[in-house]
Amino acid sequence: MQSNNMDYLTIALPKGKLFGLSAELLAKIGYTAEGLSDKSRKLVITNEEKKIKFIVSKTADVPTYVEYGAADIGVIGKDVLLESGKDVYELLDLGFGRCHLMMAVPKAEKRAKLTDYNHTRVATKFPHIAEQFFNRHGMQMEYIKLNGSIELGPIVGLSESIVDIVETGTTLKENDLEEIVSIQEATARLIANRVSFKMKFDRIHTMVNDLRKILESEAAK
Amino acid sequence: MEKDKNVLEIPYGTRDFLPSEAASKRAIETKFAELFAEWGYDEVVTPTIEYLDNLTLGSSRSSEAHLFKLFDKDNRTLALRHEMTTPIARLVSSRLQEYPLPMKLSYISSVFRYEQTQMGRQCEFHQAGVELMGSTSPFADAEIIALAIQGLLRAGLTDFQICLGQVEFISGIMEQYHLDADSKAKLKLAMEQRDLVALDRTVETLELPETAKTVLKKLPVLSGGEVMIKKAYDLALNEQSRRALDNLCEIYRLLKAYGVERYVRFDLGIIRDFSYYTGMVFEAYTPGLGFPLCGGGRYDHLLADFGNACPATGFASGIERILLALERQGLARPVRARDIYLAYAAGKEAAAIAKAETLRREGKTVELSLASQTQSEAETAQLAKGYRELVYLA
Repeated sequence: MQSNNMDYLTIALPKGKLFGLSAELLAKIGYTAEGLSDKSRKLVITNEEKKIKFIVSKTADVPTYVEYGAADIGVIGKDVLLESGKDVYELLDLGFGRCHLMMAVPKAEKRAKLTDYNHTRVATKFPHIAEQFFNRHGMQMEYIKLNGSIELGPIVGLSESIVDIVETGTTLKENDLEEIVSIQEATARLIANRVSFKMKFDRIHTMVNDLRKILESEAAK
Repeated sequence: MEKDKNVLEIPYGTRDFLPSEAASKRAIETKFAELFAEWGYDEVVTPTIEYLDNLTLGSSRSSEAHLFKLFDKDNRTLALRHEMTTPIARLVSSRLQEYPLPMKLSYISSVFRYEQTQMGRQCEFHQAGVELMGSTSPFADAEIIALAIQGLLRAGLTDFQICLGQVEFISGIMEQYHLDADSKAKLKLAMEQRDLVALDRTVETLELPETAKTVLKKLPVLSGGEVMIKKAYDLALNEQSRRALDNLCEIYRLLKAYGVERYVRFDLGIIRDFSYYTGMVFEAYTPGLGFPLCGGGRYDHLLADFGNACPATGFASGIERILLALERQGLARPVRARDIYLAYAAGKEAAAIAKAETLRREGKTVELSLASQTQSEAETAQLAKGYRELVYLA
């Protein structure tokens, strides 16, 4: 499906923890549809009256849908967006889903300086961001791409450190890991396809302004 | 046979054009070639490989990562051309100095860039474009935009939009607030990466009055018609940014004379990938295609980098992107006419060859059977090959 129908605005939302907050925020500016849920078996949910289509997809796929123009707009965490390296417009910081990307090591193995970890192995779901970060510090690392339970890496001797997202730090504590450096703050972002942003400019621009007003009034509370 | 495993593969980012695809591609290219000739543009052909240093002259360093590089036998670094503007600037500076100005050149060429490939974005792709050298006049810029629009129309597209901007406007706005080089670079980077969140944050770190901050944040969303441009004059506080707007208004006035203004929208936040642009810039978009169909602009300093200062303006259209857009919008792509299948009974070769020659001279597409056939064999062959008509010499 291509969103080449100029009448509709297609919005890609990620399954999981960002879904509820995104849907709630969009509903406040009238962007919603009957039966919109990340548990829905329907993959495309349409609001005929307001000419909106929602695609609910796997988190990491949202930037792809938007870059290809299969969706005009998307909501996605800055961490996933940076890692994807996709060419899209980043329009607005939505403020929720706050977390940060950091490097952590087993407490017992902590070394004095960051550069002391040069030429060691790092387990991560974010190899591109990790590589950019270590390159900036002149470090060469061996990146081991994992898809989940990153904390397991150092415990089973797969790697010396991890680069992962942290919200509260509980998982780190439970696994005797300690954060040694923060790499990137991340929140949910509103993104747009580069052609949609031009061809459907008036509609998207109004949407961004409406969202900005809601976010500002909530911040003021 | 293990060692022959990759004989069926083609390199990453390249593609084959099968007969019907190649026919569609050729038809579009022919339309562009005819159009360019009608407007007085002469075709040039430049080498596929150039010295790396020539191709990266005037471009930002980041473009080098997208080049296919190789060495010649003296170990000089070569690269496959990644666009045609720089090779033509090189050609004009070195070989066409005596040519009367303004010079109007066109090309239809393959170009090469390392990209994450997807439909309509391959590492090897084809471009049709023109370069107009030797004029600083808005008349030249309007001609380029009008020609780009005519090209898309002639290719068969009806629903597209040209976004027109001016790089001097953004530079002028930054200048009027006396931003230092570091801040300018940061703002430009955020805009190039289309990261409006980073743009907002960078603006917030600057020591500027609130009104100035609001203007800088607004840059990427200054999009609209003539009303928007009139309002933009209120933001332009120096000569440079005002002149940029005057220039756009003049180009727009001429585009009205061409009768193509309904395809054009102003977009002062437009950002092109090449850093050599110095004046008006534009991109064309169409629904269903996630990236621009065509783009161009004015580049007055690029030829000076090759030693012969000369103002210039031009555009390039992506052939594959046009084909993809036509297909996605359900618009018929031109296909080759298959007029006549000519078959003959045994002993009639000479007559058949003569008949084929006569029909071809009449402008018919004729496939001549390679061996004698019976009437019913000939009918089967005609249908299988999709010819409209059978001529059978009994």
